[in-house]
Amino acid sequence: MSRPPDIRSAAPAVAGRLYNVLSLLGVYVLIGALFAAGRLISDEFLTTSNLLITLRSVTLLGIVAVGVSFITYSRHYVDLSIPGIMALSGTVAVWALKYGFATSLAAGLGTGLAVGLINGLAVGYYRLNPIVWTLAMGSVLSGLIRWAYAGRQIYPDKATPAGRAFLQLYHAEVLGAVPLVVLLLAIAAIAAHLVMQKTGFGAQLKLTGSSYEVARMTGVNVRRTVAIAFVISAGTSALAGILLTSFNKVGAFYIGKGYDFAAITAVVLGGMTLAGGRGTIVGVVGGVTAIALMDNVMSLVRIGDFVIGEYPKQAIQGALFIAIVGVHSYWLRKSGMDDA
Amino acid sequence: MRRGTAATAARLGALAYRYRAGLLCVAIFAVMSVIAPRFLTTGNVRGILKASSVNLPAAVGFTVVLICGQLDLSVGSAMTMGGVVAVAMQPQLGWAGSLAVAVALGSAVGMINGLLVAKLRINSFIVTLGMMILVRNAVLMYHDGTIPAETYELSDWLQMPLAGVATPQVAATLLLAAAIAVLLSRTPVGRGFYLLGGNAETAFYAGLRVDRYIIGAFVLSATLSAMGGAIVAMSEAVASPTLGDSSLMAIVAAVIIGGTSMEGGKGSVAGTTVALVALTALINGLSCRGAGYEIQLMASGLVLASVILWDTCMLQRRRKRRGQRRDLLDEFCQPVDETAG
Repeated sequence: MSRPPDIRSAAPAVAGRLYNVLSLLGVYVLIGALFAAGRLISDEFLTTSNLLITLRSVTLLGIVAVGVSFITYSRHYVDLSIPGIMALSGTVAVWALKYGFATSLAAGLGTGLAVGLINGLAVGYYRLNPIVWTLAMGSVLSGLIRWAYAGRQIYPDKATPAGRAFLQLYHAEVLGAVPLVVLLLAIAAIAAHLVMQKTGFGAQLKLTGSSYEVARMTGVNVRRTVAIAFVISAGTSALAGILLTSFNKVGAFYIGKGYDFAAITAVVLGGMTLAGGRGTIVGVVGGVTAIALMDNVMSLVRIGDFVIGEYPKQAIQGALFIAIVGVHSYWLRKSGMDDA
Repeated sequence: MRRGTAATAARLGALAYRYRAGLLCVAIFAVMSVIAPRFLTTGNVRGILKASSVNLPAAVGFTVVLICGQLDLSVGSAMTMGGVVAVAMQPQLGWAGSLAVAVALGSAVGMINGLLVAKLRINSFIVTLGMMILVRNAVLMYHDGTIPAETYELSDWLQMPLAGVATPQVAATLLLAAAIAVLLSRTPVGRGFYLLGGNAETAFYAGLRVDRYIIGAFVLSATLSAMGGAIVAMSEAVASPTLGDSSLMAIVAAVIIGGTSMEGGKGSVAGTTVALVALTALINGLSCRGAGYEIQLMASGLVLASVILWDTCMLQRRRKRRGQRRDLLDEFCQPVDETAG
């Protein structure tokens, strides 16, 4: 005799609950494992200086990833023009240093936001494919910088106070000993978290990412929502570009190379799926941390003379990336939270 | 009368849209041969064809994957792998042996991609992004730095002029492309790829072995890329670990301009080939005029951007027209037109 299914009793079995817990904890399981591995491998791992270096090495990536997560959240994959935006805003900031430090920062950020606005118009309003459009945009921007400076690099002038301030920007410390970049990352992450979780825009973005058509028919201004996501991403990229330029002490076309794929790696590792509308900024920060820890733990491996070189390290990271995201999406599917 | 001209214009527009890659190619050749000195010489056209043949096999493979509605970011890395393996293994195995190893490794990469996407159902963007990083660094682990080939006979033969503007290198890649074109447009297997990309669910219910088609597309793509990389390295008699690094942008641009849709189910090898030649001719012509790399980057980006803008315009117009009866609409519009005119 068959009974009608009771939706309340259809709660997942114990195994399902484990999937639930694991997929919710997501990347923090991995971080825990990496901490344990690091502790086992080397005594140097759990020292303040090592962890600080690790943290610092990914702060800029973190800032970019926090912005990109808005795009991924809205189901538009990634902004491949990030390297272009970073290089352009950094270079413009160096160029504008002659008008003062504040002007330079404003010019750099403004340039990035302007590019983001164009991306937002094209992808959000005209519904162009985000990957193809931003790839084209990145190519144009990269060409533009090379053309404007004839392939030369430009340096901030150390003789002026503005130039010195610009060079100090990356190394600046505030509130005692907190590096400015880390503080900026924290502010960006907290702000992004609040926007996503506590505001109407965040809810609209989640709905847009989960189901574009449903969001549109519910009355969400989907085009504007997507466009804003691209502007936010461009803003954080511009900020990171200026900071990276300050760190490298030079404005050039190659600043920010590789940040596009690195950022999407961190975002996806943090449990924000490419299917959109799923994931949190907490997870994204975890993803960035996991990348840093992976790198750090692998470089601490020393068995006799054997150390893991740069190429094997990256190759392992590529394989781990596929494996972790694969396992995560498997958990999501098993726990019934995702049918993708 | 006006209606007639409007209809003709619309039909011409649709025709131009359909053969846009060919039109672009003709336009670029026409403009460049006027403004660029020494553009339309045998040597230069041979150079254009040779430069297009570098990315052609990978672009054809990318087309197949995109027709299936997936994405393969690892084509550049697979190209690099093919080139480096083909040259590095030549002293031990000879050219045929090293080419076989390169192609086998390419198929293996494609097989892994395909299995991960089809069986474990991981997003192809993620799988191939990870694979791109993995393969690139594995190649660097195997050999860091450029490798010169030990013999130059094969290279000389591949670069030998053949029937005017072609060389055996160009002919080989064109043959590969033609084989895939026949596969896609003249066989049931090819139609399966289109059906899968158009609607995976329908394809499944139609009895298509969806997983096999996805795996097949990724294997084709990686194998063709590795083969393309090997052919380039053989013909240049040198392999570099950065061979395919800048290929992705050129390949995506050519495939999209060639009329393949990012949503899948639409596209052709011929379009990709013509668009690739057009883009290469554009870059070549610009450098004949003395423009540097920066102008080339900007130009190819702008061409790609304007083509997808055009794409979207056409799509939106078609959506607006959907469900409308044009004969009735024309009747309604007639009086308005007359009072306005």
